[in-house]
Amino acid sequence: MNAAARDRWAGYAFVGPFLLVYAAVLVVPLAMGLVISLHRADLFGRRAWIGLGNYTQALGDPVLHQALGNTILLALLIVPPLTVIALLLALALNRPGRFAAILRGVFFSSLVLSVTIVTLIWRFILTPDAGLIAEGLEAAGHAPIPFLSDPDLVIPAIAVTTLWWSLGFPVMLILAGLQQVPGDIYEAAALDGASRWTVLRRITLPAIRRTLLLVVMLQTAAQLQLFGQAQLLTGGGPGGASRTIVLYIFEVSFGRWELGYATAIAELLFGMIIALTLLQYWLVTRHEGQRT
Amino acid sequence: MIGRALAFGFALLLAGCAPVDERPTIVVQRFFGECGAAYGTSTDVAAAETECGILTTLINRFEAENPDIRVKVNVVAWPGYPQLAAQIAAGDPPDLVTMHQSVISDYAGAGLIEPVEPLLAAAKIDPAAFTPAARAGVEKEGKLYAMPWDTIGRLWHINTALMAEAGLMRGGRPVLPSSPQELLAHARQFRQRTGKPYLIQAQVSAPDFHVALLYTYLLAQDAVIFPDDRHIRLDTPEAREIVTTFRQLNAEGLTTLNQDFPAATAAFVQGEGGIFPVGTWMLGPYEAQAADPRSPLHGHYAVAPFPRLWGDQAAFVDGHAWVVPAAKRPPAERAAMARFLAFLARYNYDWSRTGQLPAFAPVVESPAFRALPHRADIAALARTGRQLPGYVERQSAVQGLIGEELEAAITGAKPVDAALKDAERRVNRLFAQMM
Repeated sequence: MNAAARDRWAGYAFVGPFLLVYAAVLVVPLAMGLVISLHRADLFGRRAWIGLGNYTQALGDPVLHQALGNTILLALLIVPPLTVIALLLALALNRPGRFAAILRGVFFSSLVLSVTIVTLIWRFILTPDAGLIAEGLEAAGHAPIPFLSDPDLVIPAIAVTTLWWSLGFPVMLILAGLQQVPGDIYEAAALDGASRWTVLRRITLPAIRRTLLLVVMLQTAAQLQLFGQAQLLTGGGPGGASRTIVLYIFEVSFGRWELGYATAIAELLFGMIIALTLLQYWLVTRHEGQRT
Repeated sequence: MIGRALAFGFALLLAGCAPVDERPTIVVQRFFGECGAAYGTSTDVAAAETECGILTTLINRFEAENPDIRVKVNVVAWPGYPQLAAQIAAGDPPDLVTMHQSVISDYAGAGLIEPVEPLLAAAKIDPAAFTPAARAGVEKEGKLYAMPWDTIGRLWHINTALMAEAGLMRGGRPVLPSSPQELLAHARQFRQRTGKPYLIQAQVSAPDFHVALLYTYLLAQDAVIFPDDRHIRLDTPEAREIVTTFRQLNAEGLTTLNQDFPAATAAFVQGEGGIFPVGTWMLGPYEAQAADPRSPLHGHYAVAPFPRLWGDQAAFVDGHAWVVPAAKRPPAERAAMARFLAFLARYNYDWSRTGQLPAFAPVVESPAFRALPHRADIAALARTGRQLPGYVERQSAVQGLIGEELEAAITGAKPVDAALKDAERRVNRLFAQMM
């Protein structure tokens, strides 16, 4: 065996254990889920083959369509603002000094809270009965706003809650990206008299392009799976106005025991997340080969 | 360093030599919350308060009185059915589990829990002593699938100070409506004289709230809600009239709006409305408020079963019960389970201090229970309370579906007819998918 082959086998030996575990806990359940989705199945192992029946049912299910619309709207209300706010905060905090370090900690702190605590905090803020916003409005002579029971306000309310909760991680990712940009480029730009806007547009953003892509991809995948905030703040209401796809999967599988149908919806969601993530990656990187 | 490692290893060996606990072990899985900090070592049942406090104390006392039995307690988040389903699917179910009576059909129909007649016989518990409502809750197709623990009903919790201000008290008792027209008239009078809503209602994230109203008044009219185990009938004149009445209360601002259960609970204590239609489980906490001189509710609290607005006096009730997941168990373990059930049955009066109605008729008739505040007013629920037919499965999921449509209808987001049709279609689709 020559050296190259030895190196190749050594590489396989290193990644082999991980690949085995990965296949056991991810790929195998995914394949099993695909099989279950072709059955009418309950939680206790009873199954009857129905082919694509669950997928046909999903196409005509108005509750799923509403949940899909809610989920996409939530992702649109969360991912772009989250990326922009995280970028602005990271730019502001990308400097030495104790104050910036404290602020970095403050912005990261919300991320360590569990979803239960986050929704409790935001319930105290949003509820029209003695909530923080309601008290302020009443003090100013205005009626409280029912953020959690108005079908038009409930999605924005969950989006704001999620933005507050999720900000810390993207800020840290972008900060890490910013700190990888070599300082001498900025020095050269300063010598050339480039404005701050030009530096941001021509140097900083292109340099952290991959990090921004990562943030958008991770957040899109995460927000399409939004669950806890909707379940704990509104239970999906009023009238399903804040039901997300994962909340619907939970209701169908554990409330109604329709494991086959729930699995079919989960497979569709999985396909949607993969497709969207690949699309984002392609859109951002398609010209990179030509540039290099 | 080596010495320390040897000592550690030796200690491990010694730990491995500890005698095996050969006592029969029973795994008790319950909801009602976690209150170990307050009641972790308490054994004085009479001094315990709240559902969690009383049940924790009961289990502590059972362990103290039965040192030959080992009890392992799993406290699950309410209602705990996803965990139970996962445990059963994994082949590792607990031995005794708290379960709502409305859920028993799901598990009994699938053979996931076992009939308990042999255990009740071993515990010397006579099923003839169960109240009619409790027995109906645990009997499925002629077999008893649980030991009933209580009956949960919906009550009107009433602020008598505000009712007096509204001119709706007579002889020290609240005047309650006897028809839907009178309900609206009382509510308008209340609003006009007090400036506050007549009803306090949890209409956010509380799908069961309106469903209990609808079931109650349909059952009171002997309407057949579930003609068989695969169909529901909701698109009916009776259902339309009930939902339209409650929609009218919302439309005229005669009820609180946009409140979830915690907000509605607090609103009643703070005197922000006249009547809070909610369950027996709030009786204990509100009694405590009524006894507290600092509370706005002090001395101004009454309670009554839902008034008779349509049909006869009847109320939709549910209840808690102790079920036994199907599994092979050695005789010693079954004997331990029987002793546990017998112990719980003996303390059914103490459990009724929570506000829930006892599951045993002799306790309902006992002077001790009757002497508890307001219990004489509501004891009839144990007799008149009605469950859904035993063949109706997925009651929790069905409530969720109906509740969502009722919420849309009552808040005006959807026409009543359309909401009832949609509820019927969604529930029938759920039944059609059942295996």
